Amino acid sequence: MERRNFLKGLIYGGVASIASFKSSTLFSKEPAAVASGGNNDLVAVMGGEPAQMYAKAIEAMGGISRFVKRGQKIVVKPNIGWDKSPEEGANTNPELVAAIVKDCLRAGAAEVVVFDHSCDHWQSCYKNSGIEDAAKAAGARIAFAHDEKYYKSVKIPKGKRLKEAKIHSEILDCDAWINVPVLKTHGGARMTISMKNFMGIVWDRRFLHANDLQQCIADCSTISKMPVLNIVDAYRIMTQNGPKGKSPDDVQLAKALFISTDIVAADTAAVKFFSQFRPMDINSVSHIGIAEKMNIGTTDLDSLSVKRIKI
Amino acid sequence: MYKKLKWIRVILALLFFLLITLNFVWFANSKASLLSPVLHLQFVPALLGLFTGTAVFFAFLLVITIFFGRVYCSLLCPLGVYQDIVSRIADLFKSKKQRREKYRKPQNFLRYFFALVAFLPLAAGVTLPLALTDPYSNWGRISSEIISLGENLIHNLFAGIFPESVFYRGYAPFIIEIFIFSAFILILVTIMSAFRRRLYCNTVCPAGTLLGAISRFSLFRPEMGSECNMCAACSTVCKSNCIDLKNRKIDVSRCVSCLNCMTMCKRGSVTYRFAYRRKEKKSGMESAGRVPSGMDNFSDDRRRALLTMGLAGTALVARAAEFRPFKSEKEKEVEKKHSIAPPGAQSIQHLKDNCTACHACISVCPNRIIKPAVGEYGLDGLFLPHLDYRNHFCGYDCNACTQICPNHALIPMSPEEKKLCQIGRAKFSLRNCIVFTDKTDCGACDEHCPTKAITMIPYKGTNLYIPKLDRDICIGCGACEYICPARPVKAMIVEANQVHLTAEAPLKEEQEKVKVDDFGF
Repeated sequence: MERRNFLKGLIYGGVASIASFKSSTLFSKEPAAVASGGNNDLVAVMGGEPAQMYAKAIEAMGGISRFVKRGQKIVVKPNIGWDKSPEEGANTNPELVAAIVKDCLRAGAAEVVVFDHSCDHWQSCYKNSGIEDAAKAAGARIAFAHDEKYYKSVKIPKGKRLKEAKIHSEILDCDAWINVPVLKTHGGARMTISMKNFMGIVWDRRFLHANDLQQCIADCSTISKMPVLNIVDAYRIMTQNGPKGKSPDDVQLAKALFISTDIVAADTAAVKFFSQFRPMDINSVSHIGIAEKMNIGTTDLDSLSVKRIKI
Repeated sequence: MYKKLKWIRVILALLFFLLITLNFVWFANSKASLLSPVLHLQFVPALLGLFTGTAVFFAFLLVITIFFGRVYCSLLCPLGVYQDIVSRIADLFKSKKQRREKYRKPQNFLRYFFALVAFLPLAAGVTLPLALTDPYSNWGRISSEIISLGENLIHNLFAGIFPESVFYRGYAPFIIEIFIFSAFILILVTIMSAFRRRLYCNTVCPAGTLLGAISRFSLFRPEMGSECNMCAACSTVCKSNCIDLKNRKIDVSRCVSCLNCMTMCKRGSVTYRFAYRRKEKKSGMESAGRVPSGMDNFSDDRRRALLTMGLAGTALVARAAEFRPFKSEKEKEVEKKHSIAPPGAQSIQHLKDNCTACHACISVCPNRIIKPAVGEYGLDGLFLPHLDYRNHFCGYDCNACTQICPNHALIPMSPEEKKLCQIGRAKFSLRNCIVFTDKTDCGACDEHCPTKAITMIPYKGTNLYIPKLDRDICIGCGACEYICPARPVKAMIVEANQVHLTAEAPLKEEQEKVKVDDFGF
């Protein structure tokens, strides 16, 4: 990995120096690095459309180029768990996925890959969620995740119950990945947000269910290859019957988005936001508390630089 | 004229053969809604579905047979067309002399033995022997087991070469019994047709025998006229070896209406003729050497044909009257064995009565949960489709199997009907549930349940939630059983409904839409 990046750096450096007279045009398409918004730890946006909220949020985070470097291979990992339409709110919003993919490519990513380990029939999920079409149109490659052969076994030394898991090789092989969950209730984990979204990079999700789900979810967030960003889609939020839902009745139009480098903080903010629609005790979403104890992140939002944006 | 007709037959036959086979092959059967209508024109499925919705197709097949004989065998039957292809290929390896056919006596013992084996149980309410000898269904099983396996191998070869654009496709669960059975039929038919062309159709195939019996009374039959100069050209190209030059007779019960003889005859002597004009022109026909020696044999054939039709007719009457002397007393035993019939089957009995085990539903299932039963339905349900939730579950929005079935053994269901079709009901056993045994959160079943028959409720004395199951809403899709992580025994197991029911509609749970202006932190 290191060597590959180094080589890529060499190549791009070479190209840049040779074409230095073009460099102004070459880099002009990139979003301004370290934008005026500054480098916040957590940004919350509400009141806009998915792509619009993403643009505001990423700007306040310092721009995508803070996280995605030229020539990198990036994975954008949404929730594509269910054979449901975008209106049913069971999967990540396709417009948001498309906006992130475009932004990564604009920042010079060599390749952006989108996948999820679906629960329902995977092709139906990819198609009916609208994510396959949207991501492809935005320039991403869709990766497959329906078979064990796409996963590789990885040790999780810091895990308490989950000490080894088969992780999708696109995650293992990428330079950086962006976690894009959707905000929903969950019968077992209580809520499914950023940490729970890791279930979709793991092959054997039954193992997690069978070995203290909440602990395993937290364990999973101790892997060395953590996402560089967690972007919580709260445009449509599922406030009952999650995570699959029965009908659009289960969904509320919340029009919000949370983005953070701290996975625990992202989930904390999302739960607090969610509680306004339907009371949810953050202690009952116990994987968040466990993760904090394991030093994965913090639930103390006041300790972070937080930016709130209303559109 | 016959040359043109024959070309039309060949082209149509190949087209039907291709379209029928594509129904069983993965890359095409996602378009099953376009392809599956060709499956309706199959004789045995149409016959079995006579009282459950395929009477039109059966009538059509009957009418063409009454008019022109066994057109079905050369035009629509995939196994028949396969044999033609094999014998064509085999001809490439034969000398000119070996390629010449001649008249052979009918294998009457075998023919009527197999017809009896197929139709006698049918008259007693047992469909299986006919299903296992039906040529279409045998081709279906061969396609489903062997051809689609080959296609899967090739697909995965490509997946290996282009890992980013072609996905790897796991293989269907291998069930040795059905593989051996299909391979045996394939080898048998291949060998028989390589050496003796349509011998299979005229010895083993019960559909061929029954259609042959009907053909004995067809209105138009191939006959030799007085222009014949005994050149024997017709008989050398006859696939069924049924042109008896010596007696100037064509055994219409074996003739598969391939039109070879008619295209071959230079004098236009072998043609389709209206059979019932014979009596008026008696003298002319007699002079053609038809009567004396042939007559005994003729009446013998007639008797057998009548017997066959009588038997098949009795079987149909028995079906109409739902006469079932051997109605399995093992039903309770079957229930214990936990076998679930696919949606649309209505009941396991309806499936046993109508299904020919062609495995179109098995091939079309996107989740590959339909498998051929080996012992799951008992002996009279051998190779019938049943659901197995080990590797996946029944897709809530999917109705593919009900759409592809050629004869309403699975009645067609709209997605809305299918969403309420209760093929079984989950049973929750608390003592196996992770929440109970490990005192940790799980919720895998609730997560997957499409109807919310399963909900999570607070579990007494803890801060955990435990599944609650409403069996009236459950449709038996098996999502909970599939995902349940409890071992060695799952906490959610779907029990089959012997007779499929309609589940109660999922509860409507409208919620007040909340307006929020703040972030909450």
